[in-house]
Amino acid sequence: MKLKKHFSFSGALILTILGICLAAPIISPYDPYAIAVGDPFAGPSAAHWFGTDDLGRDLLSRVLYGGRITILIAMSATVIALIIGTLWGVTAGVRHGWVDEFLMRTADATMAIPQILFALVCISAVGASVVSLPLVVGILLSPTTARMARSAVVTELASDYVVAATASGLKRSRLILSEVLPNIAPQLLVQLSINAAAAVMLEATLSFIGLGIQPPNASWGTLMLQGYAQIWNSYWFVFFPAMSVTITILAFNAYGERIRVSLDSRRSSV
Amino acid sequence: MGKFLIRRAISSAIVFVISVVLVFMSIRILPGDPVLAKLGAATQVTPAALKALREAAGLNRPLLSQLFSWIWHAMQGNLGVSYFSQFPVTKLVGARIPVTLELTFFIILIAVILALIFAPLSSAKPGSLIDRVIGYVTSLGLSVPGFVIGIIFILIVSLKLQWLPSRGFVPLTTSVPQNLKLMILPSITGGLTATPYLVRYLRASMLEIKQSSFVRTAEGKGLSGARIMFRHILPNSLVPTLTMLGLIVGYTLSGVLVIEYMFGLPGIGSLAIESAFKRDYVVIQGVALTIIGFFILTTFLFDVLCGIVDPRLRVTKGQKSEA
Amino acid sequence: MTNALTVKNLSISVPSSKGRVTVVDDVSFNIPEGKKVGLVGESGSGKSLTAFSLMRLIKDPVRVDGGEIFLGDREVLGLKMKEFRQLRGSEISMIYQDPMSALNPIMRVGHQIAESIRLRSDVSAKAARKTAIELLASVGIPEPDRRVDSYPFEMSGGMLQRVVIAIALSGEPKVLIADEATTALDVTTQDRVLTLIDKLAADRGLSVLLITHDLGVAAQFSDDIMVMYAGKLVESGTVTQIFSHPVHPYTKALLDSRCDYTIDVTKPINSIAGQPPRPDNRPVGCVFSPRCEHVQARCTENVPPLTLVEERLTACFRAEELFGVGQVK
Repeated sequence: MKLKKHFSFSGALILTILGICLAAPIISPYDPYAIAVGDPFAGPSAAHWFGTDDLGRDLLSRVLYGGRITILIAMSATVIALIIGTLWGVTAGVRHGWVDEFLMRTADATMAIPQILFALVCISAVGASVVSLPLVVGILLSPTTARMARSAVVTELASDYVVAATASGLKRSRLILSEVLPNIAPQLLVQLSINAAAAVMLEATLSFIGLGIQPPNASWGTLMLQGYAQIWNSYWFVFFPAMSVTITILAFNAYGERIRVSLDSRRSSV
Repeated sequence: MGKFLIRRAISSAIVFVISVVLVFMSIRILPGDPVLAKLGAATQVTPAALKALREAAGLNRPLLSQLFSWIWHAMQGNLGVSYFSQFPVTKLVGARIPVTLELTFFIILIAVILALIFAPLSSAKPGSLIDRVIGYVTSLGLSVPGFVIGIIFILIVSLKLQWLPSRGFVPLTTSVPQNLKLMILPSITGGLTATPYLVRYLRASMLEIKQSSFVRTAEGKGLSGARIMFRHILPNSLVPTLTMLGLIVGYTLSGVLVIEYMFGLPGIGSLAIESAFKRDYVVIQGVALTIIGFFILTTFLFDVLCGIVDPRLRVTKGQKSEA
Repeated sequence: MTNALTVKNLSISVPSSKGRVTVVDDVSFNIPEGKKVGLVGESGSGKSLTAFSLMRLIKDPVRVDGGEIFLGDREVLGLKMKEFRQLRGSEISMIYQDPMSALNPIMRVGHQIAESIRLRSDVSAKAARKTAIELLASVGIPEPDRRVDSYPFEMSGGMLQRVVIAIALSGEPKVLIADEATTALDVTTQDRVLTLIDKLAADRGLSVLLITHDLGVAAQFSDDIMVMYAGKLVESGTVTQIFSHPVHPYTKALLDSRCDYTIDVTKPINSIAGQPPRPDNRPVGCVFSPRCEHVQARCTENVPPLTLVEERLTACFRAEELFGVGQVK
C-alpha cells in the first residue's frame, strides 16, 4: 500500500501558513498599526475580512503580522531546540558512562519543571523580546529532542553497519557525522514538527498571559489577550487569532504524525 | 514493596533538588536585574546606590552561598519575604495552595473519568466510526491551547447563556455551592486540555494488551467482551498509564497557571504569574519550589499506585519463589 | 452415537498481498466421545488455526470462509456469539502453547479459576475459591491452598500450564483442545503434563484434540492421528496404523525423516526435499504434489479426496497402489 509519496495535506498547509504569514508586509491590506481605518468592533465584511478591533484597526492585517511574529519566534525556537537537543542527545548517546547519566538526569530535571513555570522564571529575569522568547522556548523544548536524539543514536550505534565500520577502523566522529546523523534525520524531522507545534503553543500562551510579545507589537497570543479583554464587545477579535493558532498547531502535529507513521511502516516492512 | 518505594523516593528527591537548583540559578545567572525591576526604569540610580541595594538584598554574595542559604532557610520553612510586599512567602503560598489543589484535583478527576469512558469505547472496535471520531477529536484537542478552550467556554457559557460567571473565587469554607459554581468552568477547561493525552495513551495501551495471550485465555473461558475489557484489559493498561498520568499532571500544572490567571482564581499559579510581572524573584523562587515539589510528589504517589496495582513491581531479586 | 466433535468442510483464509489466500482448505474430521486425537503437521500447516476456529477465537483479518462445526449434534459456527459464549469453557475448552503468558499477570491464579467457575454457577466467592483449590489439587499442584493466592509470575511454566488446565476443566467440558500445550515446556515436564491430561481425560470421559508438530508426543498420547499438510488433511487413522503403515507419501516421508538414534551416523538424514507451499502460492491439485516422489499427471490436476484405504482415510490417488497391503515401498 503506497502512501502518496511526497504530497501531504498537512505539509502543504504548513507551507501555506508560513508563506502567507511571512509575506505579511507584502499582502497585508492595511497597516496593522493604523488606527480607525474602520469602525471599531466591526464584524467581517468585504473591506475588512476579519473585521476590526477596539481601535478600529484591521484585524486581517493584525493577524497576518501577528502570524509573522509568532511563526518567526516559533521557528527560531524550534531550530534552537533542534541544535541544542541534538548536540545534547548525541553527546550523551555517544559518550555513555557518567556523561550520559549526568546529561540525561539533567534532561529529566528540566522536564520535571512545568513548562510555563520555567518560561515564566526565565522571562521574568530577562524580559520578553523577540530574542529572549525563542531562546527560552528553544531551551524548554530541547530536553525532549535530546531524549529522542539519544535513543536514536544509541540504536544506530548498535546496528551492524556501525559495528562493521568501526571494526574496519573508521573514526567514530567521522562515522557519526557522515552516517549516523543522516540516518536519524527522519526521526529528527518528526521531532522538529512536534516541537514547532509546541513552540507555537508556548509562544501563544506566554503572550496571552502578558509575558510574551508586548504591545504595540502583537503576536497571535498578544492579539488573543487583547481580544479576550474585549470579548464582551466582539468575539471576532479573539476568534481569528485563536483559529489561526489552532490550525497552525494542528498542521504541525499532523505533519509530524504523518512522517512518523511512514517511518514506522518503512521500518517494519524491512 | 518497601525497597521499591525507597528507590523511587530517592530518585524523586534527586530530580527535585536538581530542578529547584536550576530555577534558582536561572534567576540569578540570566541577565536582568530584579532590583532594577523594582525601582523601575524611570528612576535614575547611581551605580553605588544600586550596589548598596543589591547588597541589602543579598544578591552580591557568591551564587553558591546564596543557594545554600536559601535551601537552609527553606528547610526550616522560611522561604524569604516578598521583595515587593515584604510579606512572608510561605504565608503567601500557604494561603493560595488550597485553591490550586482543589483545581488540580478536579481537573485530574475530569480527565480520568473522560478517559475511562472514551478509551474503552475507542479500543473496543479499533477502526470503527466511534474510534475514528474520537481520534479526530483527540487530535484537535491536542492542538488547541488550553486557554482557547477556556475562552470558548466563557464565550458560550458566560456570555451567551449567562449560566456561570467567568471570574472569581469563593473559598470552600465560605460557601461550598458558590465555590463549586465558580470552579466548574476552570475545571472543565483544564480537564479538556489534559484528556486527549490520557485518552490517546490509554487507548494505545489497551490495544496492545488486547493482543496478549492472556486475553485470549479469558475469551476461551467464555467471558463476555465487557468483562474482559474491564477486568482484564483495563487493569493491565493502567500500569503504564499511571506513569503517564504523572507526566500529565506536570503538563496540567502548566495549564493550571494560565487557567488560574484567566479565571481569576487566587492560587499559586496566578501568584507565579503576578510575581513574574513584578520580577519579585523571592516569591518566584518560593512558588517554583512549591510547584515543582508538588509535581514530583504527585509523580511519586502515582508510582506508588503502580506498585499497588501491579504486584510484579513489588518483587525484588531474591523474592521470586521456586516452582 | 454422535461424535463429541464433528468438523465439516472447514475453510479459513487470511489476507495477503495477492488478496485472500486459503490456509485451511476444506478440512473435515470427527472425534468420537472419549477419544484422544493427535493433529500433527509442520508449522504453517494450519493446525493451530483449525483449533482456534473450534473455539471461534478466529479474529479479523483471519476469517472462517465456510464449513460447519458440531459440538455433539449442535452446529456452533452459525450461533450468535452470545449463545456460543455459553458453550465456550463449558462444552469445549482449550489450553495454549505458552503458559507463561496465558494468564493475567496481575490477577491471582485462584481468582482466575474462580472467575471461570462463577461464570457458570451462582456460587459465592468463598465457595468458588474452595472449588479452585480442589481443582489445583486435581491437576497436581502442591500446597494448593497456598498457591491459590499466587500470582502467575511466582510460578514456573509447568505449574502455570497446570493452572491453565485447571481453568479449562473448571467448566466441565466435553471436548478439550490442547494447542501445542507442551511445546514450551522441558521434556520431563512435558511428560508429566501429558500424563496429567491423559489421566484427567480418562477420569472425565473427555475427548481431546492434541495439536502438535512432535510425532513422538502424538504417538505417546493419542488413540488416533490426523496428519495435516499445507492446510489440508492428508491422512488419518489409528496410531498403530499411521506409525507402522502410513498410506500417504507425506506421512511416509515424515516418518522416514525421523532421527533414530541407532542409525548409522554417516548416512544422510532423509529430509523431504523442498518447502511447504506458501499460502499465496498453493499448487493446483494435490498440495503435496510438488514434493512427492510418486507424483503423476493427475496429481497436479485434481485434488485427491479423502478416501478409505486400508481402514483409514487418506488423500492420495495412488495410496492403494503404492502402500496397499502386499506392496512394499
